Amino acid sequence: MTRNTRRRIAQKSGIYLAITLITIVLVFPFVWMVCTALKDRTEMFSAVPTFLPKRVTFENFRSMWYDYKFFNYLRNSLLVACSTTLVSLLFSTFMAYGISRFRFRGRTVVFDLLILTQMFPTPLLILTIYVTFAKLGLIDSHLGLVISYCTFAIPFATMMLKSSFDGLPVELEEAASIDGSGVLGTIFRIVLPISAPAIVAMGLFCFILAWQEFMMALTLIRTTEMRTLPVGIQMMVGFRDIMWGPLMAGTTVVTLPVVVLFIFFQKYLVTGMTMGAVKG
Amino acid sequence: MQRLKRGLRRETAGYFLIAPGLLLIAVILIYPLVRGVASSFFSSKQGSLDFDQFVGLKYFAELSRDRIFLTAMRNSILYTVVVVAGMYVLGLATALLLNKQFRGRAAYRSLVLIPWVVPGIAAAMTWKWMYSSQYGVINYVLQSLGLIGKNVDWLGNAHTALGSVMVTAIWKAIPFMAITMLAALQSIDMSLYEAARVDGASSFQCFRYITFTGIKEVSITTVLLQIIWTFNQFDLVYTMTKGGPSNSSQIIPVYTYLTAFNFFKLNKAAAIGVVGLLFVGVFAVWYIIRNNRGERA
Repeated sequence: MTRNTRRRIAQKSGIYLAITLITIVLVFPFVWMVCTALKDRTEMFSAVPTFLPKRVTFENFRSMWYDYKFFNYLRNSLLVACSTTLVSLLFSTFMAYGISRFRFRGRTVVFDLLILTQMFPTPLLILTIYVTFAKLGLIDSHLGLVISYCTFAIPFATMMLKSSFDGLPVELEEAASIDGSGVLGTIFRIVLPISAPAIVAMGLFCFILAWQEFMMALTLIRTTEMRTLPVGIQMMVGFRDIMWGPLMAGTTVVTLPVVVLFIFFQKYLVTGMTMGAVKG
Repeated sequence: MQRLKRGLRRETAGYFLIAPGLLLIAVILIYPLVRGVASSFFSSKQGSLDFDQFVGLKYFAELSRDRIFLTAMRNSILYTVVVVAGMYVLGLATALLLNKQFRGRAAYRSLVLIPWVVPGIAAAMTWKWMYSSQYGVINYVLQSLGLIGKNVDWLGNAHTALGSVMVTAIWKAIPFMAITMLAALQSIDMSLYEAARVDGASSFQCFRYITFTGIKEVSITTVLLQIIWTFNQFDLVYTMTKGGPSNSSQIIPVYTYLTAFNFFKLNKAAAIGVVGLLFVGVFAVWYIIRNNRGERA
């Protein structure tokens, strides 16, 4: 074996060692969460912790589901997240298409504004939103929550969709326009079908945003029946003791859909989410 | 005339398309921001934000004597600096490793993304469980390695609470940094390295002058954005410590929130929010200027 090969092997193993170590640290909490959810009480609180559960039990999931009313939270979360996805996709598609294809005054200002909204501190906004929603009767209503989530999702989705629309050839739309198709017809019949990947990515982004949002849900929803999953989970943390088993089962339930969506749509999501930063 | 009409129609159509989204943004984002800033100069009845009486800088003067606020400001800056520096260094290291050729790279790249995918509340609760003083796996591991003598109450101790949340925040942010940096690394022209090798450049010189120059622009953009987002972060600190124990891990977003919704002082909360906004604003303006310059070039 020459010195060169030996060096290359050493280098390769170094890379494997380093990346494996980083990956273990990054993945461990997720695995630990799922494993804890599947353990029984004695195993969870034993002096020497076990990694994989010795005896798999779904007791924690049962308790979370019935004792802590998680089916209720889950239903609310699904309702809010799905509505948010549909409405914000519609609005951002219109907005993105408008900015991408039409030259109107204030176009660059609007675009800068979209970027700026990504930097607004939510705790400052929520003061006025709370007071205003209280006057309009939108406190403790899913409608109020959906309206706010849509508004938080629209700027980013619009920017991403705009850069996707910018890359489409205008000829198709011009042809449709000559054939007498109106703007809305062109959007629904031509633009949406050919930019399906970008639409899917942004749909996922809106869904995940609404699915995991915490601060607005904590503030705008007042009664247990109306709460969404993230707040429901936080409510399980009592003042004295914490029921770690059902709690970890709850966090598994809120995490799983996102992980599943991610596995199926990884390619779209990653390009969509990093594009903004890389393009700057 | 015909052309002018068509031009006008196209302009109107543009306005119509952006109107619904823009209306929502104006009502739910811009109006609350403006009103929030304005109400920090007024006093009003408890639990409301009406402009009852102009008080000038009263709330800001109050804040300058508020010890909790001063702690929160110091903590927020510390939190932002440490978390952004941590995620940049570790994210870049991960990206450099993932940029090498080795078998199973795609699998590693997917696995590395997990913390980014886990919802904030789930991450916070899982780490809270791992930090637990009695049954926490972190105490167990550190004790087995002989690094600590007895169990530490990581989140319940004033000296370790903020640091512990920072670790969670860095863990959560590494994937985004790594993937962004990986995309930047992959856009570097590989022939530059070969040319440098021929000219006898050392590995360090290659890193310094090719790799680092290649990712510099993306780094600045991403770090600016992350400074803003990290400073505004609410969920982790609120759900893991609520700023405690005794405000030792208090940060500006959480203190704004608690002042408003636990102590019902909405105007004072607005003033705290405004101070945070000023800090974030500097970086936001910097970002926008860079962005527009890039667009024109």
